[in-house]
Amino acid sequence: MSKDGSSMVYPTLLNHAAKWARKNSLWPMPYGTSCCGIELMSTLSSTYDLARFGAEVVRFSPRQCDMLIVAGTITTKMGPVLRTIYDQMLEPKWVIAMGACSSSGGIFDTYSVLQGIDEIMPVDVYVPGCPPIPEGLIHAILHLQKVIDQGLPRNTAEKPSYDEAINAMTYKKYVGPKSQYVVTESGVLPNR
Amino acid sequence: MVKEIQNKANEILQNTFASERKFSLDKVGEPILWANGPKDALHLIKKFQDHIDLKIDFLSDLTAYDNTDKKDGEGRFVVVIQLLSMQTFIRIRLKVLLKANEEMETLTNIWPAANWLEREVFDMYGIIFAGHPNLKRILMDERFHGHPLRKEYPYKQREPFSDNTKINLSNSTRGSSSHE
Ligand code: SF4
Repeated sequence: MSKDGSSMVYPTLLNHAAKWARKNSLWPMPYGTSCCGIELMSTLSSTYDLARFGAEVVRFSPRQCDMLIVAGTITTKMGPVLRTIYDQMLEPKWVIAMGACSSSGGIFDTYSVLQGIDEIMPVDVYVPGCPPIPEGLIHAILHLQKVIDQGLPRNTAEKPSYDEAINAMTYKKYVGPKSQYVVTESGVLPNR
Repeated sequence: MVKEIQNKANEILQNTFASERKFSLDKVGEPILWANGPKDALHLIKKFQDHIDLKIDFLSDLTAYDNTDKKDGEGRFVVVIQLLSMQTFIRIRLKVLLKANEEMETLTNIWPAANWLEREVFDMYGIIFAGHPNLKRILMDERFHGHPLRKEYPYKQREPFSDNTKINLSNSTRGSSSHE
């Protein structure tokens, strides 16, 4: 506080405190549809113990989560369901695409499978692997904490109306442009 | 023991039903009987159920395959019906060769379990089951048009739905099922 009563230090600290609180209490919403889901369970259970990183409170209600972990194959028929869950989550929210299937369709380059969930929602971290080992997912969450710490603007998706949402098959027009930054181990780079 | 009963059943099939139908045994000694069309298949199943030695009472699977290479004769699809008796443990494989626009008879009146199996065959091959109570897609999206397990369907072809195609459940029954 300065002498005339205006605050100087406090708001910056609050900002930092909020960021610190957010990154250390990521509540995951699991969306395990196939084999990767098993690895997700393993990550959450006692051997790997995701609780050590502050992300153990798994909520099965999208209203109470801020990190959507998509672990598994997403078919085109399931796309609208997943997108509805994403839309129901409250800001701030982040998305992790776990495994080859949710990142790019994986081995299922067929008539019924979505070629990566970034067709229907913005994704923050992609985890490679088929399935990724639990360490991979933990690394992704630690990486996400770094992303949150950077405080870079997140590309938000446009929200379709209810009618559009239940009938849409592609959400391309609601996803928005790719993010301008990539957070890497060595710092923040422009996304090319 | 089961093997002997099966062999006896094979003989019965050979003697009673195989006179004007194709009949063969597969590698493990189970019988394959070709019905002369859908009506005949239904008729045969009724006969199997009533037969004192066969006592067929269980539909273990119903599926189909695309006969594009004409290996099994002039016909587009082959519907395969796997039958089992829970009393004698006899297995019978009944096959029906269908022409491109021919309709299959539904088995739902005999075994309600055929309901979903027939819907799956309809979804994947577009074979219509006459008399089915609820013939609509079971695996693919209601707005999908093709029948992906037909050999001419490019297997990487995803169907783009424009964002304003409405789901219309009432129309999807037999909706996009024209045989080309
Ligand atoms: S990426 Fe591999 S392990 Fe994960 S859901 Fe796909 S096929 Fe299964």
